[in-house]
Amino acid sequence: MEIYIIPLLFALIAAIAPKNLVKHVGLIGALASLVVTLTQVVTFSPADTVTLFDPNFITSFGLTFKMGYDGMGLFMVLLTNVMIPIILLSNLNRSIANEKSFNSMVMLMQFGLVGVFTAMDGIMFYVFWELTLIPIFLIVLWYGAPERKNILIKFFIYTFVGSLGMLLSLMALGTYAKDFSHESLVAIQLVPKTAFWIMGGFFLAFAIKIPLFPFHTWQPTTYTVAPMAGTMLLSGLMLKMALFGMIRWMIPLAPEAMADFKCIVITLGLIGILYAAIIAIKQSDIKRLFAFASISHVGLIAAGIMLFDKETLSAVFIQIANHSLVAVGLFLAAGILEKRLGTRTLSEMGGVAKLAPKFGFWFAVIAFASVSVPFTSGFIGEFLLLKGLYGYNWMVGLAAGTTLVFGAVYTLRAYQLSMYGAPKMESFKDLTWNELLAFFLITVFILIIGVYPQVVIDFVGPSLDKLFLSMQASNTLIP
Amino acid sequence: MDALIVVFVTGLISMFIAMANKPAYVLITAVVGLSAALVLMINSWFNPAFIHIKYDGLEFDKVAILYSVLAMSFTLLIIVGGYSYFKKEVEHTGEYISLLLFSLVGALCMIAFTDLFMFFLGLEILSIPIYVLAGSKKKNILSSEASLKYFFTGAFATGILLFGTAWVYGATGSFKLNEIALAINDGTAQGPLLSIGVLMMMASFLFKVGAAPFHFWSPDVYGGSPNIVTGYMAAVVKLAGLFAFMKLFTFVFGDLHSLWSGALFGLIILTMFVGNLSALGQTKFKRLLAYSSIANAGYALLAIIVQDFESVWNLWIYLLGYGFAVIALIIISLIVNNEEDDISAYKGIGRKNPLIGIVMILALLSMAGVPPLAGFFGKFMVFSSAFNEYPVLVILAVVNSGIGMFYYLRLLMTAMSKEDNEVVATLKPTIMQYIVLAVCSVALIVGGLITI
Repeated sequence: MEIYIIPLLFALIAAIAPKNLVKHVGLIGALASLVVTLTQVVTFSPADTVTLFDPNFITSFGLTFKMGYDGMGLFMVLLTNVMIPIILLSNLNRSIANEKSFNSMVMLMQFGLVGVFTAMDGIMFYVFWELTLIPIFLIVLWYGAPERKNILIKFFIYTFVGSLGMLLSLMALGTYAKDFSHESLVAIQLVPKTAFWIMGGFFLAFAIKIPLFPFHTWQPTTYTVAPMAGTMLLSGLMLKMALFGMIRWMIPLAPEAMADFKCIVITLGLIGILYAAIIAIKQSDIKRLFAFASISHVGLIAAGIMLFDKETLSAVFIQIANHSLVAVGLFLAAGILEKRLGTRTLSEMGGVAKLAPKFGFWFAVIAFASVSVPFTSGFIGEFLLLKGLYGYNWMVGLAAGTTLVFGAVYTLRAYQLSMYGAPKMESFKDLTWNELLAFFLITVFILIIGVYPQVVIDFVGPSLDKLFLSMQASNTLIP
Repeated sequence: MDALIVVFVTGLISMFIAMANKPAYVLITAVVGLSAALVLMINSWFNPAFIHIKYDGLEFDKVAILYSVLAMSFTLLIIVGGYSYFKKEVEHTGEYISLLLFSLVGALCMIAFTDLFMFFLGLEILSIPIYVLAGSKKKNILSSEASLKYFFTGAFATGILLFGTAWVYGATGSFKLNEIALAINDGTAQGPLLSIGVLMMMASFLFKVGAAPFHFWSPDVYGGSPNIVTGYMAAVVKLAGLFAFMKLFTFVFGDLHSLWSGALFGLIILTMFVGNLSALGQTKFKRLLAYSSIANAGYALLAIIVQDFESVWNLWIYLLGYGFAVIALIIISLIVNNEEDDISAYKGIGRKNPLIGIVMILALLSMAGVPPLAGFFGKFMVFSSAFNEYPVLVILAVVNSGIGMFYYLRLLMTAMSKEDNEVVATLKPTIMQYIVLAVCSVALIVGGLITI
């Protein structure tokens, strides 16, 4: 229970804390959650399924309140609670960190995210899923760029309508199942036609959040107007909810529709990989560039999820962690450039590496992780995903493989234009201690996963086996 | 019955006590009386034998008690929260409060009726004080318009209702609900006489709950009336109307489901779209609320069309979420106190006064149906119970929730934006208003848990 109570408690404390202490309150809260999670990780053996909350009781419409985690749930909780301190840390020297409402909202967001990853009941999942939308909405509304209003409405309505699709699917499943708990929902077997619509509803919600082509149009603009912390939360953690939702909810609940959906989602993912990469190459705005890069990377992950075998799914989890780390690192670099130079346009940058060598070095490390250089986490993840896709169809594998080439082109182009050449500005303040520490921590995690990916594979593997087993056990056919 | 009489007597006393020219006395009388009535009502849930006064035309069974408690709590909150408005005109304070209490008596009759006489009586007792209250800003031309418009159209709708009742009486030979239901069930009553009567009654009900195409009165009336009366109409009148609708059509005319469900099906779709699409372009706060209440009536009608006994409960949760959200918004509009009622007057109030901001976020998101607030659970329960029989309606309702999100969000962004305006500087909420807002917020947060 502590993993829910601590963020909520600190959200309240941060809301009433004195202004000069508030940033420490936020950081302490995030670290407290991390410590609690670590104690749980230490006592956890990957084959376990831990129930956090189960009142053993069903409401009139089938809500069971079940919360708990298995290996992959805990992995995502750990990722959340590692990333939130890093995100807060990297914002520490900005005025936003002194805002009560900002710290409070980040804690609330953490609460929502932990809830999403540990929900074992369809309605609870939906509740937490929507709950995460409110803090990010308020963060962008209060601290975003001046032109945010219409963009924000588009973002909110887009994602809200998407989740309504999920709600419809849950309602439809609820008419067949005895309650909304995960095992009851997985146990029902649907005819493919019904399953198609049910998976479609879930897919709408997740495709918008990921975002997959052609549902991505909210994403570059929202990433651009959001404050740096908002962009980090959106790309580093919120889109992982959708990837995790696909694995935990969408496919196990309606596996009968896989035959129809596999091809569709892989095609969309593939289009996303190529399309977003090509657009990213032509971008002149550094934040937009990284936003499109994100679409390109997650397209590959989504395509990998649809293969739904153990090896690829393990790779998906490696890549989820990798993408969180790299995205936060890249947006931190973009945020530093934007704050120090007052512009996001690449052509107005240049020569920063000469003036700020430390920044130049750490940005390069993150950029190399982003282009999947061996010994970084990106290499293992992308390699295994591409291997899986190649096994599915060699042409798909080949097309997806271009992500490596394009990825190198746009990332290195961004790096080159901003960092090399003659300096276009007089001075550039080098990294402050907190930014340096954030880059360092991100790099450490990237290297750990890159050198020893087995730790992730072992952690999520048994829970994946169990998931496959529970899907096979379903028997009663329902029209 | 006891509680009903207590409410009525409280209304009378508060009317006369106003002669002392001390508004506080009126408030205390009303609050004490209404609280006593609430206690009596809740008590009769736990020991039904406690009821001393009985009358054939009214029966406070458990369902009626549930809805009555909700209506009485709403009225209590509205009286307490609106006190700062009532006491502005010292000589009229008693009239405002006693008229609201009399109207509540009508609402309770509409909830507990067992024959159509009593129902008609309740409807009139409910409506006539509202006609007066709607026009209570005498110097304001919009208020007078609201009163007159509501009176004429309301009288017309009542006429149609009476006409329909007469036809039903002609077909079944009784005013008593159980006898009518029996006559319809065993087939002694049938034919066009009955059908026309039922459909006429349905039309006047749709008028009362503000469903399209009988909704044209509601934006003008909601917009012109004093804010607090608007809140009362949206919360209590709608509750009474919807419950009476459900009681008659689910339980009495249930066997004629095939007759009226087709019409209701079409009108629900129309109501949802008309309400939501018209609300998109509104610039006045109360008119926006009026259109959103039309849309909400559309969602609530889903509970009536499904013919399910659980719908009684679902509708109750739905109305709970809706009512508390509306009351919170109306109290906020009283605090802002903008004569023009423009949405732009709300700019930045959430930043200036974070407590109001939090309440506003809760109320708007609950109305829009964002979990884990009460509004979400109400919507979810109503929609999911309708999903089996009417998947098309539910899908359209969900689409409409998406459309509705737009105007709630626009209001929310206006309220939470960083820019200041001069109105905000003069915000002076009273302690009582803070209490009401706090009660509403707590109800919106924990309301969903009642579903257990």
